[in-house]
Amino acid sequence: MLEPLQRRFPAVLMAWRNLTRTKMRSLLASLGIVIGVLAIASLGMFGVALQYSFSQNLGDIGNQVTVSPNRDAGVDNLTQRDIRGIRRAAGPDVTVAAVKRNAETVSYGRGENATELVEGLERPGAVYNTSEGRIPEPFQSGALVGSDIAEEHDLQPGSTITINGTSVRVRAVLASTDSFSVLDPGESVVVPASSVEQEGYQSVFIETESGTQANETATAIREELNSREERVRVNDLSSAVDRVNQQFQVINTVLVGIASISLLVAGISILNVMLMSTVERREEIGVLRAVGYQKRDVLKVMLTEAVLLGIVGGIVGVLLSFGAGLAINYEVVDDPTAVFRVTNGLYLIAAFGFGVVVSILSGLYPAWKAASEEPVEALRG
Amino acid sequence: MTVVDARGLVKRYRTGGQTLEALKGIDFTLETGEFVSIMGPSGSGKTTLLNILGLLSTPTEGRVELDGRDVTDLGDSKRTRLRKQTIGFVFQHFYLLPTLTAVENVEVPRLFDRDPNRTARARDLLTRMELGDRLDHRPDELSGGQKQRVAIARSLINDPSILLADEPTGNLDRETGQQILTEFSRIADTEDVAIVAVTHDDLVNEYVDRTISLVDGLVGEAAPDA
Repeated sequence: MLEPLQRRFPAVLMAWRNLTRTKMRSLLASLGIVIGVLAIASLGMFGVALQYSFSQNLGDIGNQVTVSPNRDAGVDNLTQRDIRGIRRAAGPDVTVAAVKRNAETVSYGRGENATELVEGLERPGAVYNTSEGRIPEPFQSGALVGSDIAEEHDLQPGSTITINGTSVRVRAVLASTDSFSVLDPGESVVVPASSVEQEGYQSVFIETESGTQANETATAIREELNSREERVRVNDLSSAVDRVNQQFQVINTVLVGIASISLLVAGISILNVMLMSTVERREEIGVLRAVGYQKRDVLKVMLTEAVLLGIVGGIVGVLLSFGAGLAINYEVVDDPTAVFRVTNGLYLIAAFGFGVVVSILSGLYPAWKAASEEPVEALRG
Repeated sequence: MTVVDARGLVKRYRTGGQTLEALKGIDFTLETGEFVSIMGPSGSGKTTLLNILGLLSTPTEGRVELDGRDVTDLGDSKRTRLRKQTIGFVFQHFYLLPTLTAVENVEVPRLFDRDPNRTARARDLLTRMELGDRLDHRPDELSGGQKQRVAIARSLINDPSILLADEPTGNLDRETGQQILTEFSRIADTEDVAIVAVTHDDLVNEYVDRTISLVDGLVGEAAPDA
């Protein structure tokens, strides 16, 4: 397999034969690199999988912005004018849902009356999905109930509930989502905005395409509505999500840093092996110098040995890490193919490169030592 | 033609505060195709002289000319290159690389050159040394005499004008030693290579054109006790 390579690079021939002379020693030195590369790559990929699984659970919370009146400034409701300002600031591609909220007496058929926070929305279809039934468009009558309420009180589309003494037909059951959201469809009772007896709106829910857009939208709304006085509070979670992601980066860096120590130890083991080898082969190296090898030729042969140890160890390490990556992704995100992500590839390449670089650095001193030995001294025995 | 002309060679070593004078002023010339032995007791400076002639070390005083060129003050890199082009070495302990086959060992001095004929030439040299059936054997599969012949083939791969041998028969039995010395004579006569052999072995003197005795860093007749 190495034959053509060796024809072309004779240093590889000599280095490879030298390494196979002390097979066990070379294997152990390489094993150090294998472990180091495996540690770096698999801990790196573990961090990536963890972050991925976390952001899956977080869902779109980073893309959401809520606007509420600033009661500290005496603003209790958002006016139609405020809503228009918000829409203007958010731009055309962004979903803006103005919500009225009021505590109302609700009874579910034969059950007792309870006080629930009822939401009034003009177009609930924009922010909610349904599991049963359909949200009428336009939404002018009837009610939508959350999945938890529907389950608790055995409601389906067509059931009747009473809000504030008025019988209302249930049009649809809202679908619950796995991820966190500012609007929780589980416990909601949603009616047309016109049926809620409130002046103005109590909150505005905005959903954007990305965390960055959410952030920009939030800033635009603040500028639009809060330029004279703090009329509204704007909450966007994108910065919180960013912070969590940054935390993951830190954790990942620490993990990989700890793993790197094992690679440094591997480097020391290569240094040791190479130093032993230069002492043992002192006379051979002296002969090479005598028959006309320049210092740099000896340096080349010795460094090639170190590089070969690193490359072999690195390749085995990368293969094992890939296996580890499949297992980690299977465990953490239930999907082994999630290992095929660019970040994981980068970790594999970085671990391999780091392994080879560590090997070269470890080989430098022994190679220099071997090359600078006076041939006369070496041949004296 | 004179290949080596050395004048007034002095070599001093400094060991632990003391200065040791290994060579005390030696003149030495070598002609093309000559086979010369250097005899002398241990510590007489034989190996030191050989190292200076082989450009492995430099004299403290004196000049060395190789093929008419003064090589005394050359730097390590230039000396190494010249050594490769003009000098072949044969050692008492053969010093073959144990991981390489006979052919690869002969190729070693030229391994880093881009030379497509390298392997063919190595095979040819080994075949001439009657090792045609041992080409792909490793050193540990060869006898002492075979190893020394591989070493001689290696010393000839660069067509040197000088071959330096340090106790070439030191590790061989008498009969094998004779074969090796016959080989040296043949090389000196047919290939116009000048050979210098440093030795304790009186057998060598039966083959050489000339013997130089070294005693205490001086050439025989100049030495006070000789």
